[in-house]
Amino acid sequence: MGNINKLTAVARIKWICISRNTAIMVGPVITVAMVLAYKVIYGMNTDGELSPILAGMLLSLGISMNICMDGFLMVGTAIAEEKEKHTLRVLMTSSITGVQYFIGSILFPFALTVGVNFVVLAVSGVSIGQASIVAFLLLSAAASLISCVIGMVVGICAKNQMNANLIAYPLMLVFMMVPMFGNFSEGLHKLSGFLFTGVLTEMAYGFANGEPYVAKPLDIAVLVGELVISILVFLILYKRNGFEKD
Amino acid sequence: MERDVLLQLSHISKRYHMETALKDINITLHKGEILGFLGPSGAGKTTTIKIITGQLRQTSGEGKILGVDTTNIDDSIYEKIGVVSDNSGIYEKMTVWQNLSMFAKIWRVPNKRVEETLRQVGLLEHKKKQAGKLSKGQGQRLVLARAVLHKPRILFLDEPTSGLDPSTAVAIHKMLLDLKEEGMSIFLTTHNMEEAAKLCDNVALLYQGKIVEFGPPQEICLKYNKKKRYQVLLNSKKEVVLEQSQETAAKISEWMANDEIQRLHSCEPTLESVFLQVTGSALNI
Repeated sequence: MGNINKLTAVARIKWICISRNTAIMVGPVITVAMVLAYKVIYGMNTDGELSPILAGMLLSLGISMNICMDGFLMVGTAIAEEKEKHTLRVLMTSSITGVQYFIGSILFPFALTVGVNFVVLAVSGVSIGQASIVAFLLLSAAASLISCVIGMVVGICAKNQMNANLIAYPLMLVFMMVPMFGNFSEGLHKLSGFLFTGVLTEMAYGFANGEPYVAKPLDIAVLVGELVISILVFLILYKRNGFEKD
Repeated sequence: MERDVLLQLSHISKRYHMETALKDINITLHKGEILGFLGPSGAGKTTTIKIITGQLRQTSGEGKILGVDTTNIDDSIYEKIGVVSDNSGIYEKMTVWQNLSMFAKIWRVPNKRVEETLRQVGLLEHKKKQAGKLSKGQGQRLVLARAVLHKPRILFLDEPTSGLDPSTAVAIHKMLLDLKEEGMSIFLTTHNMEEAAKLCDNVALLYQGKIVEFGPPQEICLKYNKKKRYQVLLNSKKEVVLEQSQETAAKISEWMANDEIQRLHSCEPTLESVFLQVTGSALNI
């Protein structure tokens, strides 16, 4: 019971801090607005109807952007803000364990990322009937979890919010841009298959073309492997310095 | 009767690579006692607190806090102690009330206690105010309120009044003395010797990682009062400093009889002058 209390307290602190940080909260709004704007612009000459390739591109753009911006930046910047404002040590000297802080920190961003992915699906122009909701939920959840763990790595490395952005942007470029430009280059397409955002992109194009998603062994290996790698990197960094270096 | 020992450090040392931060630290803190760690910046005060509270591990020596070895303490120790560091932050986007209620949830403290603590630090009327809008003094009182919310057995304070205006510092001093009356033990680090003399039952003068003097402030001052002197201000505005002697006694007695004295002070050393004498270095740096 005590552990649940502590976990909910950390999650609530994070929820308040993140939801009141306009610099972070603008991320999901921009994502949805961008998908909507593209949909309106692309649909101008076709009475709002989008070709499957365009709908797939919008869905892929929206979910990749959301996963990277919300996961990496939201989690990473929130930890960096706690370091900057000297509240992280306060929290860690209040009987909160590392595990409780970890889970409490990613709960809200995780739920928000998955939720925004569904909003993007709804506004992207891909017919909901064409998408397998269960597959979308599972893959979204897995990708969101990986991005939140990477966000924890960003947070543990960053000294302040500016520093968190500097660390997160190159990662965002790789995980967001490689799958997005995969259609233009064979090499990037191959590389994209090894990224968790690439797995999502493939699913998005599949849905847009009315193809049911069937999990390939490589997809599962990529998702599980990248989750394990990100957790290991986090643990190594955490073991070395804790959340904050002395 | 022997009072409860809540904290004991025996021969604690800490080395960072080639640099020695603490050398052979020995202290004991009893229940309801305020222990002051005095020393200039870099003397090892914060390092000592970090070792005691499990944030750092000593190189050698043994430390026990509430009966537990400092090398074996886990996060649950923080349910029994309160920590205020020199840069403890507050959640600026939350209200004053939320800042405490979040920690009340962590420590399973009822909301009634949150209200009681806010009243104690004089912030109850500001409970709906955003914490980021508090003045520096109010912010420091909020930090202190958070640290004592769960009624810890030992309160660690690292420079609690550093940079505060005198009236806020006095309010915090009063609060610390009230907490002491309630039976809380306080481990205080400061480089403000007046604060230490006013609040502490015992002080340890720390210099370059070593305790150079330990004991009640008054006893330490008297110990170094080897050359007794008296400072006298006469009605004629003339100020004289006289050394203890038969002649001085007669002279003061005569001035007193003639009602010529406006002010008379003994010139025992202060903690600062003792520190200077022992180390050859000033304290307030």
